Amino acid sequence: MITILTAQEVKTALTEIRQLMDANRDRLLDLDNDLGDGDLGLTMAKGFAAAEAEAAESEETEPGRLLIKAGMQMAKEAPSTLGTLLATGMMRGGKALDGQQGSVTEQVAALLQAFVAGILERGKTKPGNKTIVDSLHPAALAMKQTAEQGETLAEGLKKALAAAREGEIAARAMQAQHGRAAYYQEQSIGKPDGGAVVGVLIVEGLAKAWGE
Amino acid sequence: MKKFLNEPAAFVDEMVEGILAAHPEQLAAVAGALRCLVRANAPRANKVGIATGGGSGHLPLFLGYVGEGMLDGCAVGGVFQSPSADQMLQVTRTIDSGAGVLYIFGNYGGDIMNFDMAAEMAQMDDIQVEQVIAGEDVASAPKEQHEKRRGVAGIFYLYKVAGALADEGASLEEVKQIAIKAGENVRTMGVALTPCIIPEVGKPGFEIGAGEMEIGMGIHGERGIRRGPLLKADQIVDEMLPVILNDLPYESGDEVSVLINGLGATPKEELYVLNRRVSQILGERGITVFNTYVGEYATSMEMAGASVSLLRLDDELKRLLAKPASTPFFTQLQLEGANP
Repeated sequence: MITILTAQEVKTALTEIRQLMDANRDRLLDLDNDLGDGDLGLTMAKGFAAAEAEAAESEETEPGRLLIKAGMQMAKEAPSTLGTLLATGMMRGGKALDGQQGSVTEQVAALLQAFVAGILERGKTKPGNKTIVDSLHPAALAMKQTAEQGETLAEGLKKALAAAREGEIAARAMQAQHGRAAYYQEQSIGKPDGGAVVGVLIVEGLAKAWGE
Repeated sequence: MKKFLNEPAAFVDEMVEGILAAHPEQLAAVAGALRCLVRANAPRANKVGIATGGGSGHLPLFLGYVGEGMLDGCAVGGVFQSPSADQMLQVTRTIDSGAGVLYIFGNYGGDIMNFDMAAEMAQMDDIQVEQVIAGEDVASAPKEQHEKRRGVAGIFYLYKVAGALADEGASLEEVKQIAIKAGENVRTMGVALTPCIIPEVGKPGFEIGAGEMEIGMGIHGERGIRRGPLLKADQIVDEMLPVILNDLPYESGDEVSVLINGLGATPKEELYVLNRRVSQILGERGITVFNTYVGEYATSMEMAGASVSLLRLDDELKRLLAKPASTPFFTQLQLEGANP
């Protein structure tokens, strides 16, 4: 069981997330062909591979600063809108980690909240617009609640993953407001959002890396 | 439409290679990255760096104004696509002398997100960054929602006055404030006669009928104010110019600079026909003209059409506008008639 988040945990998490992005590459490509410009699976696989490699090679021992470095590499190698938003989330999450003195559950809660807040601010969006936020925001909330109740990290991540999955399903019924998907207007209703699926995969990766 | 093209996907890089080949004494690529352009002698000691960026397809925007008396660097995007935050960061690092960097760019979602991200990353390198967003197209949103207005040809004036002030050794805050002031005093409106083609797409993304025009269309074909039969040149100016004049408003006794901008396929002759009527109306309204620029300043590939921009001048803006500049796409000697 993890009691403190170290640089090694950040590396492990990035590896788990990168593996999930690889495994889901074709599914993301298909989703993005329906509502986007068709490159989501490629940019996510490439972006997280770059972030993972950057972290693996780095000698940085502060987990927050390591996550910031990985985020900047993501910005460089995955310069799509979602890549830039995820890079923002990683940088903001890393900053939040550095200042966080509480339990490991509180640390991860702070990371996720800052991650989502960064995406909301830079993407100029809010929950309900059929984006990655619609899976990540409920996950961050669930994580925050378990941290406040003093529960374990494993319990928190389990609830966060369930909340992310529910959020992704709820997002299918929403109408897209951003990017190319917005051109489809009502036709976007009923279809899964690639960004929201990416959000689920990220939380799933964290649960795999830190949830045991 | 016939085009000079090799591989459409290589269009932007090949364009930049051609520009670098033509202007090696003025422009350089950061560490060989063709999409990250800076002045050949960057950074300039103790000078605030000014960076811009945006999609390709608008020459001389954006990279054409990198040079003496104007900009220090430019991140170059694909045709009508924002460059990445990382490109902007590379440019920022290269042009920062320690005096900080000002970003001046147009009001488009992708550019805003990426410049914002670049600023955050640059600040982690302890580079001071400020941003000014240009949005002066009166046709793109009503005055009450001016923060939604698109940036078009009028951004030229922000580059010109901010660049002139930065050259005098002004601080980052001072350069930012003069860019804001220019932005507050400039208004633009355009008219499109034909659509344009993104090379990788190969056909127009929208149509304008043979006998039609669209007043207020944006430089990527964004919807304008009204589509209708093509009118006579004077009638078009009579419709557009009052919208600009009433928006600021520009009033009798004001002094302005005029920019008549071609969108890519309109001959200069026609631009001067438009300017003839603009100058008549300004005269009738008691508005004096300090300097008129006529030519291509912000294009939209091969779109036929034009835009009119007015910058209301005060002594400070006039003095800075009058200063010399030398870039690959814009050269000006000291203008007479302004206090040096």
